[in-house]
Order: sequence, then structure tokens, then C-alpha cells
Amino acid sequence: MNYVQLEKLGEGTYATVYKGRSRTTNEIVALKEIHLDAEEGTPSTAIREISLMKELKHVNIVRLYDVIHTETKLVLIFEYCERDLKKYMDVHGDRGALDPTTVRSFMYQLLKGTAFCHENRVLHRDLKPQNLLINRKGELKLGDFGLARAFGVPVNTFSNEVVTLWYRAPDVLMGSRAYNTSIDVWSCGCIFAEMISGVPLFRGRDNQDQLLHIMRIIGTPDDRTLRKIATEGQTDSPAATKQYPRYPKIPFQQVLPKAPHAAIDLLERLLQFDPAKRITAADALSHQYFTGSVPYGLPAPTPGSMAPPSYNYPHPHAHQQQQISQQQQAQAQAQAQAQAAYVQAQQTALVHGQPMYAAQGDPARMAQAQAQAMAIAQAQPQPAPAGYAMQYPQQYAAGAR
Amino acid sequence: MSTALYPLASLEQIEKTPSREDGIPYELEEDLRAHGCKLIHEAGILLKQKQVAVATAQILFQRFWYVTSMKQFGIGDIGMGALYLASKLEECPVRMRDLINVYDLLQQRTAHTRATMIASASAPSSSSHPTKEFRYTPMSYFGSTFYDLREALVIAEMQVLKRLGFNVHVVLPYGTLVNYLRVLGLTDRTDVCTRAWGYLNDALQTPVYALYAVPTIVCAAILLTVRHLGIALPSAPENRWWELFDAEWEDLWSVCGYIMRLYRDRSIEDRTRVMGMLSKKGVRQWLDEHKTVDPQT
Repeated sequence: MNYVQLEKLGEGTYATVYKGRSRTTNEIVALKEIHLDAEEGTPSTAIREISLMKELKHVNIVRLYDVIHTETKLVLIFEYCERDLKKYMDVHGDRGALDPTTVRSFMYQLLKGTAFCHENRVLHRDLKPQNLLINRKGELKLGDFGLARAFGVPVNTFSNEVVTLWYRAPDVLMGSRAYNTSIDVWSCGCIFAEMISGVPLFRGRDNQDQLLHIMRIIGTPDDRTLRKIATEGQTDSPAATKQYPRYPKIPFQQVLPKAPHAAIDLLERLLQFDPAKRITAADALSHQYFTGSVPYGLPAPTPGSMAPPSYNYPHPHAHQQQQISQQQQAQAQAQAQAQAAYVQAQQTALVHGQPMYAAQGDPARMAQAQAQAMAIAQAQPQPAPAGYAMQYPQQYAAGAR
Repeated sequence: MSTALYPLASLEQIEKTPSREDGIPYELEEDLRAHGCKLIHEAGILLKQKQVAVATAQILFQRFWYVTSMKQFGIGDIGMGALYLASKLEECPVRMRDLINVYDLLQQRTAHTRATMIASASAPSSSSHPTKEFRYTPMSYFGSTFYDLREALVIAEMQVLKRLGFNVHVVLPYGTLVNYLRVLGLTDRTDVCTRAWGYLNDALQTPVYALYAVPTIVCAAILLTVRHLGIALPSAPENRWWELFDAEWEDLWSVCGYIMRLYRDRSIEDRTRVMGMLSKKGVRQWLDEHKTVDPQT
């Protein structure tokens, strides 16, 4: 393998994660080792994670660099991040609560990454602090796409066994399978509140209890809304006929006394019981919480160029200004790049609907460009990397088994 | 970048598939692909699997043969692996043992049908002695058949993933068909809807989903339908209905050709030949037997 395996970082249900170092570039990476099971073949979480993440290239999404496929295991090579948001809050927070500047920066990056997923027709379906990774530069990245899925024309009904309970949207709790991007937006709202207060907002024990926890704060919606959501789920869903206690709404200001008004207003829009009324991640990015003037003594950043939080925040302000403008520049650059790539992809997508020969030529060209980029990035040949070309990887045609 | 993009085979891959590279004639490969897809379809029905998973499996199966030769992997094993994988992708997983039992039954039945057909062909007076009915012999619970098939299944699934570079995103045509029929004002005609829907499903036995964009395939299904039912749609040069859906006439025609070729009559020799080639062993045996006949080698 082209990577040196270093210490173990963690162990999940189907994978073990190690820190690793590239032999060629000395870069530190995360190696996610997935054991292939004779009982169930390749885990579907791994299939989802690879097939979706290899396409999602964005500053706020953990990059999947490579995949090494051997007889007995599958190793995913990811960009390395120091810690997840949960641990970050434990270490840097005041009893878990983060300072307003950091909250705003993280929230912006979280929504940015989420919006990018949605733009590319991917639902994450498992957003929670443990799956958000923070690197040394203060960049927040969405990770663990093991439950994610692509969505298209809604002919499919999805599984409703998604999202860790505390971050699960009420419509999913009520058995809806016709959910869409709004499911991730709900999770973003829960994480937002958690960053402000330091504790999870809704802590239910089970499905039903979770729903009651939600209603106790945001209030029980009217019968029409309840019925609408219940019928969107399958008719055989037990929730369809259920009666719920009528709770009044508690203002978020009361739940989160520390939060500024703009934050409360955004939270309100993120945590709408009715999924149809929930704000989209893209729209949330231009909410006044991010665009309005900031009462924290920092210059108001223009949307799209918000700097990551500076880690020497408690220290003198003198350097801070300079550092922030540097970071702003760097991020703006990265964003411009991502945008250019996106525009290019969009153009290719348009070509697809047109004459066949052109459409076939185009992915091939993209594949070539990608292959070149990979070749440059890898410098040394690898044992058996999965081909990430848009079209079928030619190299496998030769590799006999 | 967008996952809405699905991979299509390159011109080079279409002109010379790996199987043809290995000496398998074009028509034989076409028949083997179709037969593999039929097995997936039958297995799907026996497993009561959702059509989205079955269709996804068939498309992955077709893509696979643009990167791999049938001399290397059998259509039975790969079909089984594709269905297993597609069931995971569409979030309706099947039990390994169920899938293996079903494929075992289908393979036994194919072998039986083949033997019967060969016997009746060699003895034309077959009507005099009745053909034996097919009886399925279940595999023993701890026998090696199960473990062999399970290993083949795990390998097939992994190979599909690996050789397709984890590009397992598939776009199904059904939603598009509904939209187009609505635009053309044909949704009231049940016969149109069912027939076009049927063509789309039959097209899953051809490679078209690995070759053409979904709108083109849907237009071809509509074209075949209206031609068969004698319905006129605008087709004057300045006003062609398929151009509304970004399809090219040449491509439409080609897709129609692929679909119609499915329905042609095959001789008993052709049919039994395909049935004997579900595994790579059968393919290799056939290649060995026909080596001398091929003028190129």
C-alpha cells in the first residue's frame, strides 16, 4: 500500500479508521478499513459512501482521495481532520457551548456543505456533530456518507430508518418515506441549537419519545399538518391514526436565552415541523444571520467569503484582522475553484440531453482529464485503485482475476 | 460531477466489447446478455423484489459487459451479483440464501429445458413419448452448492463494483415516460401507456441503457408504440415531436432496432446454445469447440 498505517483513530460498526501517511507526499490522511464479510458481501454503507463521495468535491465535504480494493478488505483514503464537532465542543466550548463567532462560522460552513450535497442530488441523511469534522484551519467538513443516497425523480420510497434519533426530522419520525432535502435541514437546525447551548436540543429515548420532545418545544402542529404528514408516509404507518398531546410552542428565545435575534429567526425557519415549510440550505445561507451586521466587533463578511474561525480568538486582536483577510482570500479562491468545476459539470450535464455522439464524447473527455489529475496526484502506480473515471475504467478490462 | 450523470459506454467499447475481443460473435453476445437479463427478471419475480431493483440490476449487468468478457465471468453469476447489489442500492436488500436458492432453481430449470429441447430436436417424433416435467431438487442445507454459490455471489458483487469503478448510479426511465406521454396528450390511451411501458421494460434486456440517454430510450418506446397502434404525431421537418425531448432520429431508430431484435425467432440450436453458456465454463467450452471455425485465429 502507498500509505503507512499509523495509530487507530476509531472503530465503527463496519470499519476501523486509522491515521495514515502517504509514502509519496508525506501527507496525513485517514484510512477507513472496511472488512468484507462473507455473510453480506460489500456493506451497503461502503457502497453508498464511495459511489457518492467520489463525486462530491467541496471545501466543506471530507474528500475521498482513493479506494484500495483487495480480496479481503476495502480501504478508503480520506482527507484527515483533527476532530469531530462533538469533541471540538467538549474541548473548546464553555460546557459545550461555542462562542457566537464560531457558531456562526460553523453553521455557515455546515449549510454550505449541505447545500452543495443537495445541489448535486445527494441526501446526507445522518448529519450530527459526530459526523462533522473540524480541521486545524477551523474548516468544517461533512463526513460519513454511509447513509447518504442519491435522489432523482421521486419514484422511489426511501427507508425511514435514517438519521440518528436526536437529529431526526418529525416527518421521518412519523413514518414518512417521501422525505427530501428537508430532512438534512432539520438536522442542521438541531446542530445549530446544540452549538449555541452545548447540549442536544431534543433528547428522546425512542421514536415516539423523540416526537414528543420536539412537540414540547416547537408545539404540536394543527391537525391538518399532522394529517398531511401522516398520509405522506405509508397508510399502514401506525402514526397515521395517532393522537398527540397538544403542546403550546415555547419561544426559542426562552430555550436559548444567549442567542441573538437573527440566530433565533434562522433556527425558527430550520426547525419547521412541516417539511414543506422548512427553509432550504441554499436559502438559509443568505439569511440575515449571516449577512446582517455583526455585533461581535468583527467586520461583516460578504456572503460566500466568510472566514473560518481563528483559533487564537481569545488572543490580541492585532494579528487577527490580518489573518482573517488572508483566510478569506484563501477560501474565496477555493470557492471559485469549486464553482468553476461545478459550472463545467453543469455544462456537461446539458450536453447529455443532446446528440448521442457528443454526449458520449464528453464524459470520455472528462474521464481523461480526471485520469490525468489522478495520475499527477498519485505519481506512483498503485496496486488496484478503483477507477474514478466518469465512464467505465479501462484499466479493469485488462486486470484479469 | 453531479450524480445525475450516469456513465455510458464509449464508442470504442461499443465497437469492440471485451467478449468479442475474446472471439464471442456479436449475435451470441447479444443473446447471452438478453438471457442474463431474463434470469434477473425471473429471479426478481420469484423473490417478489421491487421492479426498481430489478431494472437497476439489469442496467448494471449490461454496463458490466462493456468492461469485462464473458469468458472471464458467467452471465449467471454476474446477474446474481448485480441483483444483490441493486437490491442494496435501492434499499430493499434480499437475503443471500433466498437469492441463491432462486438462482439455483433457475439454473436447474434452464438445464432441464435445454435437455428437453435437444432431445426433441434429435427425435422429431417427440409427440409420441411425453417430455419429462421439470422437478426442482433443492440443494442440501449444508452442501457445498450453497457455499460455492455464495462465494460466487460475493465475488460477482465485488467485481461489478470494482470494474464499474463504483459508478453504480442508475437513472430509470419510468418517470420520464409519464412526463412525455403527458406532454403528448397520450395519457388517456391506456393501450399506449401499457405498451410503451412494456417496451421500456423489454429494453432492459438490451444494452441500450448503457448506450443512450434516458430521453432517447423513452422516445424510442413511444415511437414503437405509436407506429404499432397507428397514431400520428407531429413529424414534419419543422415540427418533430422527438426533437422536443432532445432525441435524434438516428438514435431513436437504433434503439428501436435493439428492442425489435429481441422479438425475432431463434432456432432451437441458437436457443440451446445460449442455455448452455450460463457459466464461464460453458462459454470457454464453446470457444474451444469453435476455435478452428474462426478464420481469424
